[in-house]
Amino acid sequence: MSSERRYTPTHEWIASAGQEGRMKVGITDFAQKEITDVVFVELPKIGKKVEKGGEVAIIESVKAAFSIYAPLGGEVVAVNEKIENAPGLVNEDPYGEGWLFEIKVSDPQLFGTLPDEAAYQKLIVTGGGH
Amino acid sequence: MPLPLVAEHLRQGARMTDFHGYELPLTFTSILEEARGVREAAGLFDISHMGHFIVRGAGARQAVNGLMTSDLESVPFGKSLYGILSDDNGGAIDDLIACAFDPETVHIIVNAGTREGDFAFFRERLPSTIDLEDQSPGQVALALQGPRSGEIVRLLGKDFESMARREVRQVPSSGGILWVSRTGYTGEDGWEFFGPPSLVLPYYQTFVLEGKPRGLVMAGLGARDLLRLEMGYSLYGQELTRERTPFDAGLDFAVNLRKAAFTGRESMLTARADVNRERLSGFVLLDRGIPRTHCPIFDGESGGRVGEVTSGGHSPRVGGGFGLAYLSGPFWQEFQKGREAFVEIHGKRHRARMHPRPFINASPIPKSPSL
Repeated sequence: MSSERRYTPTHEWIASAGQEGRMKVGITDFAQKEITDVVFVELPKIGKKVEKGGEVAIIESVKAAFSIYAPLGGEVVAVNEKIENAPGLVNEDPYGEGWLFEIKVSDPQLFGTLPDEAAYQKLIVTGGGH
Repeated sequence: MPLPLVAEHLRQGARMTDFHGYELPLTFTSILEEARGVREAAGLFDISHMGHFIVRGAGARQAVNGLMTSDLESVPFGKSLYGILSDDNGGAIDDLIACAFDPETVHIIVNAGTREGDFAFFRERLPSTIDLEDQSPGQVALALQGPRSGEIVRLLGKDFESMARREVRQVPSSGGILWVSRTGYTGEDGWEFFGPPSLVLPYYQTFVLEGKPRGLVMAGLGARDLLRLEMGYSLYGQELTRERTPFDAGLDFAVNLRKAAFTGRESMLTARADVNRERLSGFVLLDRGIPRTHCPIFDGESGGRVGEVTSGGHSPRVGGGFGLAYLSGPFWQEFQKGREAFVEIHGKRHRARMHPRPFINASPIPKSPSL
C-alpha cells in the first residue's frame, strides 16, 4: 500500500492510516527543526470536528507556541498519547512515532489536491514560515 | 550586521536568528541539550554582539561611577561590578558590567540593543576631557560557561584559571588588547573574552578542538536565555526598561545608597516608596503550560488582572513552566505570602505560585583567590 505523504504550506503532513478515510497528521522535519525542542503538545479531544485549515492542536516548544492546522476536514478519531509523556518524539521522529492525531477525513478525494513532496520542498526553498 | 564567527557557526550546523540586528546562533543541536551541557560541563557562546566601551582620562572611574547605581569605587582595581545605568527619572537605560583598571581606565560591557544609546548617554554625561571609545565593531567576544570552564581555560596555557571570580585582565600584545573576565550570565563559573579576531579566534579554535572531548558544547541564544532565566536574571528590554527602576526589578543589591550621588538616585527612591508601583516576581506554574512574554496575570482570588509576564519558559530543572512577571504592588505583597495567581496562556488560565530567584542552584563555583 502507498504510504504517500501530502503536505500543507503550514508544514503539516498527512498520510493514510490504513483504514478507509482515516489519516494520520504530524509536522514536517522542516517544521520540527524550526520549532526546536518540543516540550509538550496540546492534543485535540477525540470526536472533535475539524475544518480544513482550522486549528487542531498547539505545539509548545522551548522557543514558542505553534498552532497546528487540519490539512483536511473531518473528525479527530485518535491522538498520539505517547507524545504526552515523550514530546521529544516530535523532534526525533516527526514522520513516525511523533505523529500527532488521526482524522477521519470527510472527503478523501481532496488528499490528492494537497502539495506532494516535490511541491512542498519547493515551498520550503521559497521561504515558508510556520 | 555580520559578526566575525558567522561562517564558523554555519559550518557547525547552527540555526541562526536575528538579535537586535545581529545574526547569531539560536541553537546548534537543541536548546535544552545545550542548556544542560552548560550546567553539567561547559558551553561556548558567541557574544560578539555585546557592546564594549573603554573610558580613559583623568577621573574616569569617578565619572563613570556617577552614572551607575552600584559603587565602582568600592571594588578593587581589576574587579568587575554589575550595575544599572539610570536616567534622571530612575528608569533603566541599560544594565552593565564595569571594571576599573586604575583611576583613569574603565572597561564597560553593555547590551547589544542599547549600545548606541548608551554610548550617546555616556558621551553626553562624561566630561569632555574624558575619552570614550566603542571597541565593539569588528571585535569577537566569547563566553565559556559551566563547571568545567576552568579545566578548559587551562588548555590555553595563559594562567587565566588563576583569576579571581569577577576579575578582569587586560592582555596587551602586538595585535592589540585582549580583555579576559571571569564573569558570565548563566550562574555558572566561566570566562569571557573580548578582543580583535586575531587574538580571540585562536582561543576559539582551542576550545572547539580540545574542549569538545572534555564535554564542551556549542551553545546559542536559546540556551543563553533559558540559563539566565533559571537564575532569575533580568534581560534588558523585558525586566528592565526606561519605565522600571532597579527597585521595581528587585535589583536592590545593584544599588548602593551609601555611595556619592548618581543619576536617578532621588527619583528611584521616591518610586520605591510608592507601594502601588508594579514589582517583579518570580513564579512557577502549577499547571502544565509555558508562560510567554506578555501573557496576562490575574489574582487567583478576585480574578482581577494584576500584571503581565516579562520572560517565561520551560525548564526540566525547574520542573515545568516558570518565569518573571511585573505585578501590581498590593498583589505582589500577597503573592510573596503565598496567594495564587493565574497566568493566561492561549486563553486558558494556569495556576501559578511565587518562586524566589534563582529558580535553581547553579554548580558550586570552585574557590578562587580573592583580589
